Amino acid sequence: MKPTPKAAAREPRPRKGARAQRISLDSRYQAWLRHHRQVALDSGRRLVRQPFSSLFTMLAIAIALVLPAMLWLGLGSVRALDHSFDDSARMTLYLSPGSSSEQVIGLAERVRGEPGVSEVEVITAEQGLQEFQQALGVGDTLSLLDANPLPATLLVTPLERDPAEAERLAERLGRLEGVDEARLDLAWLERLRELGALGQRLTLGLAVLFGFGVLLVVGNTIRLAVENRRKEIEVVTLIGATRAFVRRPFLYSGAWFGLGGGVLAVVLLTLGRGWLSAPIGALARSYGSDYALPSLGGGGSLLMVACSILLSLIGAWVAVGRHLAEIRPR
Amino acid sequence: MAMITFEHVGKRYGGRFEAIADLNFSIERGEMVFLTGHSGAGKSSVLKLLTCLERPSRGRVLVAGRDLASLSAGQVPFYRRQIGVVFQDHQLLFDRSVFDNVALPLLIQGVPPLDAARRVRAALDKVGLLHRERALPIELSGGEQQRVGIARAVVNKPALLLADEPTGNLDPQLSADIMRLFEDFNRIGTTVLLASHDLALIARLRHRILRLREGRLIADEEAA
Repeated sequence: MKPTPKAAAREPRPRKGARAQRISLDSRYQAWLRHHRQVALDSGRRLVRQPFSSLFTMLAIAIALVLPAMLWLGLGSVRALDHSFDDSARMTLYLSPGSSSEQVIGLAERVRGEPGVSEVEVITAEQGLQEFQQALGVGDTLSLLDANPLPATLLVTPLERDPAEAERLAERLGRLEGVDEARLDLAWLERLRELGALGQRLTLGLAVLFGFGVLLVVGNTIRLAVENRRKEIEVVTLIGATRAFVRRPFLYSGAWFGLGGGVLAVVLLTLGRGWLSAPIGALARSYGSDYALPSLGGGGSLLMVACSILLSLIGAWVAVGRHLAEIRPR
Repeated sequence: MAMITFEHVGKRYGGRFEAIADLNFSIERGEMVFLTGHSGAGKSSVLKLLTCLERPSRGRVLVAGRDLASLSAGQVPFYRRQIGVVFQDHQLLFDRSVFDNVALPLLIQGVPPLDAARRVRAALDKVGLLHRERALPIELSGGEQQRVGIARAVVNKPALLLADEPTGNLDPQLSADIMRLFEDFNRIGTTVLLASHDLALIARLRHRILRLREGRLIADEEAA
C-alpha cells in the first residue's frame, strides 16, 4: 500500500492532467501587460473612491515638493544674475575731479591703447549725475548742490575674465596720470557666489529632508492600504500569488499619489508665481530692473512630476516590503 | 503512485509545543481521504505543511514525489497554484462578485480573460451556482458561499484538493451536499484530502479515514 519514500522520490514529476497545457512566453507577456493595465486602473479607481483622503495625501506630497522647488528656482535666478555680471567683469576708473572733457577723452584714448583692454566707455561727470538721480529717484534734490560732486569715469572691460589678470590691469591703469582710483569690484561678486553656494547647499539639504517627507507620507498611506486589504493579500497568497503580484497594486497606488502630488505641486508653484509676480515686477521696475520671477517651464514641470512619482514609488516599495513580510496567511 | 507522503514528520511550535510527532502516511493518486481527530490533534498542521504555510521541524513531506523542503520561497506560489484549497470560512473576498472570486486563481496565473471566463463558468456550473455569478458573496447563504469557495479551488483543475473543515459551519443536509461535491471531483480523478471532525458524516461516506490524536496517527481505516 505505502510505497517506499525512495521510490516516490525517484519518480519523474508527474503530469498534472489538464493543467499541463503550456503557456507560451508571448501569451505570458500579454498576461503580464494585461495585469499591469488592470492593476493601474484599479488602483486609480480606489484613489478616486476616496477623494478626500487621496487629495490630502497628494497635497502633503505637493507641499513637501513646493518648498525646495521654490528655493531651487530662486537660486536659478541668483545664478543668472551672477552670469550677467560675469559677462561684464568691468572696472571703473575714477578720474581726478575737475578734469576737462578734452582731458577725459584723451585719457580714454590712452586707456583704449593699453594692452589687455577690450572696451572703454566714457561717463562724463554730467552723465554720472543724471544716472545717479535716476537711480535714486531723488529728482531735483541734487540740483541744490552748487557743483557736480561726481568725477568723470571710464568703464573698462578687460580682455581677460580671469580675476587675477583683471586685478593686475586695474592696478596698472590706476597709476596712469589723471586717474584718481581704479576700482575692480570683485569682492561682492565673490560674496554673491558664496551666497549662491550656500543657497545651493540649503536647497539640497531641504530637498533631501522634504523628499524624505514624501517617502514617509506615501509610506504611511500605503501601510494603511496594506492593512485595509490584509484579507485579500492573505487569500491571494494562499492561492499562489507571487510577491510581485501582491505588491503591484500598492506600487501603482504610490505612483498615482506621486503623479497627483507632482501635478498639484506644479499647480501650486504656478499659482504662487502668478500671485507674487505683479508686486515683484513693480518692485523690480522701481529699481529700473526688468527682473521677473523664474518659472518652472515645461521641462521643469515634467522633472518635478517625475521626481514626485519616483519618490512616491520608492516610499510605496519600502512600505509594502516591510508590511507584507508581517502578513502571513493563517 | 503516491500523491502525498509524510515521512517521520514532526512539527514543533516555539520549541516546546509539538503539534505533530513522527507522522507517517501516504495517500495514493485518485484517493479520497478524511483526516479526523479533535481540535488540536494536528489536522490543521498537516494542511499547513501541505500548503507550505509551515515547514516541518523533522522529516519530509512529499507531494507528487517532490520534497516540499526543496521548494524555494520563490517557487512556493507556483506550487500552490497546483493544489486547490477549500477553507472552513471559505475565505471569499466580499468586495467582488462570485465570478471574480472564482476567477482569482486564473487572474493570478495570467489566463487570458475569455479562457478564464469559460473556466469560471464551468466551475460555477459544477457547484450549481452558475446563475449567481453576478451576485456578491454577502448575498449568498452559507452553503452557497462554501460552494463558491470550492469552485475557486477547482477552477484550476488541480490534481490535489485539500479541504479544512469545509462543512464546519453548515447544517447536516448542506454538509452532505458539499461532501457529495467533493466525491464528484474525486470521481473524475482528483485526489481529495479532507479534514473534518464531523465523525457521523464521514463514517457514512465510506472512504479511507486517518485518525490523529496529539499529533500522532492512531488509526488508518481503509475504505469500507
